Amino acid sequence: MSKGIQIAIGALLVATLLGWYASSNLEEPASFVYYQTLDEFHAAGAVSGPARVHGYVAPGSIERDVPARVVRFRVQNDPPHAGGSAANALPVVYASLETPDLFKDGAEVVVEGELGPGAFHATNVLAKCPSKFESKARGLL
Amino acid sequence: MSDLGSLALLLALAVAALGAGAGAFAGWRERADWSRVAQRCVLLVFALASLAMLALFHAFATHDYSLEYVASHSARSMALQFRLAALWGGQAGSLLLWLWMLTAYGAAAVGASRRTSARLVPWVCTMLLANAAFFLVLLNFVTNPFERLAPGDVLSDGNGLNPLLQHPVMMIHPLMLYTGFVGFVVPFSFAFAAMATGELGSAWLRATRRWTLVPWFFLSIGILLGGRWAYEVLGWGGYWAWDPVENASFMPWLAATAYLHSVMIQEKRDMLKTWNLVLIGLTYSLCLFGTFLTRSGVVQSVHSFTNSGWFGYIFLAYVFAAAGLYFSVLLFRRKALRTENRLESVLSRESSFVLNNWAFMSVLGVVFCGTLFPVFSEWASGKQIMLGPVYFNRVSGPIFLFLLLLTGVGPLIAWRRASPTSLRRQFLWPLAAGLGTAAALALVLGGRAGFYSLALWSLGAFVTGTVVQEYVRAIRVRTRKGDENAFQALGALLGRNPQRYGGYIVHLGVVLIVIGIGGAGFNEERLENVRVGETIRMNGYRLEYLTARPLPQQHYGGAVARLALFEDDRPLAVMAPEKRMYWLEQQPASIPSIHSTLREDLYVILTSLEPDGSATVKIYRNPLVNWIWIGGATFVLGAVVLLWPHPTTERAGA
Repeated sequence: MSKGIQIAIGALLVATLLGWYASSNLEEPASFVYYQTLDEFHAAGAVSGPARVHGYVAPGSIERDVPARVVRFRVQNDPPHAGGSAANALPVVYASLETPDLFKDGAEVVVEGELGPGAFHATNVLAKCPSKFESKARGLL
Repeated sequence: MSDLGSLALLLALAVAALGAGAGAFAGWRERADWSRVAQRCVLLVFALASLAMLALFHAFATHDYSLEYVASHSARSMALQFRLAALWGGQAGSLLLWLWMLTAYGAAAVGASRRTSARLVPWVCTMLLANAAFFLVLLNFVTNPFERLAPGDVLSDGNGLNPLLQHPVMMIHPLMLYTGFVGFVVPFSFAFAAMATGELGSAWLRATRRWTLVPWFFLSIGILLGGRWAYEVLGWGGYWAWDPVENASFMPWLAATAYLHSVMIQEKRDMLKTWNLVLIGLTYSLCLFGTFLTRSGVVQSVHSFTNSGWFGYIFLAYVFAAAGLYFSVLLFRRKALRTENRLESVLSRESSFVLNNWAFMSVLGVVFCGTLFPVFSEWASGKQIMLGPVYFNRVSGPIFLFLLLLTGVGPLIAWRRASPTSLRRQFLWPLAAGLGTAAALALVLGGRAGFYSLALWSLGAFVTGTVVQEYVRAIRVRTRKGDENAFQALGALLGRNPQRYGGYIVHLGVVLIVIGIGGAGFNEERLENVRVGETIRMNGYRLEYLTARPLPQQHYGGAVARLALFEDDRPLAVMAPEKRMYWLEQQPASIPSIHSTLREDLYVILTSLEPDGSATVKIYRNPLVNWIWIGGATFVLGAVVLLWPHPTTERAGA
């Protein structure tokens, strides 16, 4: 057997092990995430289990409850600056005071968590800037 | 001045097109006169690109807000250095910077090698100018930085720049990254020229190795600075998040690093020629592809430009054209690249390098698939599924450990075939260092240390053992021979064989970086809400909240909190995390306050000043982070040794 083949077999073995290792870990929710828009989330019915929902912070809905260490707000499907309405907004309870810099009225957000009684219980909130900068200067390659 | 800039861009396009044609004709008919024309075109395009750069710098410096690009990326209140750095703050300016660097590299490479590789040069010119022409088409017709606003829209002030970019590191980081990305065009062009002419001897190899080292050096610095910037500015306590943009810069680095290792086999044993050409092609293609990925908005990223679709398509077409042409020529020449030499033994330096390449390619595959997973999943299921850092760490972690192991093993194994006695002699001390460290760590840290920290540090000790042994033995050989002392011997080693001994310093830098990364296993974070006078205790530290004050009004406002930091009642520092608001850009930013020692960093972020007067702060304790930057500096030092002009390579003119 040539040395090239020996090495190739070894490499293949390692690759298989790694592939198995990789796929065996993908069931963990932290490594495998996708998001739905709020409308898609509503359309899918009240799904239980972890979810990532995309939407916009309804203006005036942010309420920081310091003693209870939670932030409450509502998420709507369409951006308020483009005339989106807050009619079908989803109430969110985020069990932390740690909100991202860009989290504010009208901000584009993805909330991670689970639908609970009366509200979506978020474990993580990601925010993007809604302003003019969205279409401009992000000069980091 | 700005009209001069747009005129220069237009002229440059014509010259680039002409030169590319002249080069191809010169290469095809072996005409020295036309080759000279092509070379002059490279210089001329460089001059014109420099003129355009100067014109744009001038517009930023003199507040020429009649230019759309200047108006939307700077403002009067910004300091001069940030206004100048705003040149690469957006799409059109980055493309111009890319063009300028490409032509600067081109001019340098052609100038350095026009005598030694006369037959290659015309094709090198063609490839360089064809690439330049593509960017010139974009700059002239798609995103022109000199485009004027309609007279009615011109205002007396600009919109400002994304505040996250207004940071000293951000002035240099993109520059380094670009110098890295763009520079790979030179080895790419040389490899292409070698295949086009069939001159597959050693001239192109020397040229490409050296011209790969330069951009690799800058890309490494760029990646490190990017991590530093993320740590100091983004305020999430970390330096690497497997963001698509980070991955885009990491993938070509992986391919280039693999090449720098496997090229040694070609130099020593004349093997793996085809593979090396594949790696060069891959590196440059990944640079282009990474740019496409992050600039087109295909993959969501914190950094991405949101853009009109067709810029993306043009760019993608370009990536495929460049890669397609290169790899077709490679396929055409594959017979000429065959070699008689074979691997003689699995226990040899060669096979350890082959394994090293497999490992680099595996990491590359993992990162590539992970980065593009949202795209794949959208095709397959209609949903964008993103893979988080957990995926990248889990899957690439074991491969990185294996790579680290090889870093220690490679230099210890002989070329061709290693004998059992030599293996024993070589491995004794490094192995003892690695195993001793593992035992000591297990004893001291016990159950507190995770597997990765232990493995990284033990393997780090093993690699260090290898490097130290290599140095000690080589120095001893020289000092025993006669009149050199140890320092002279060290100097002589670095001078005589910079490739080998500089490479070992780079390995040491990697070990130091790995020590810092291993510290992440001990990270701690806390979120606390405090009132004035209250204290937070964390692992021997005490943080007392003193005051919050408004920041003096300037380009930004906001508040700064002051917290006194004590360690066992010994005062250490006053931490001052800021919550800034950039007025013009209407964007907030949290600037962390970091107390940094060799042992650990204490990293404080002012998350929010609450309506009731209390402050919510996030505190991270990050052990050993400083070693990443120290390792980075060592890495750079080693790379400088590698790059230092060397008598033999100078004579080769590469």
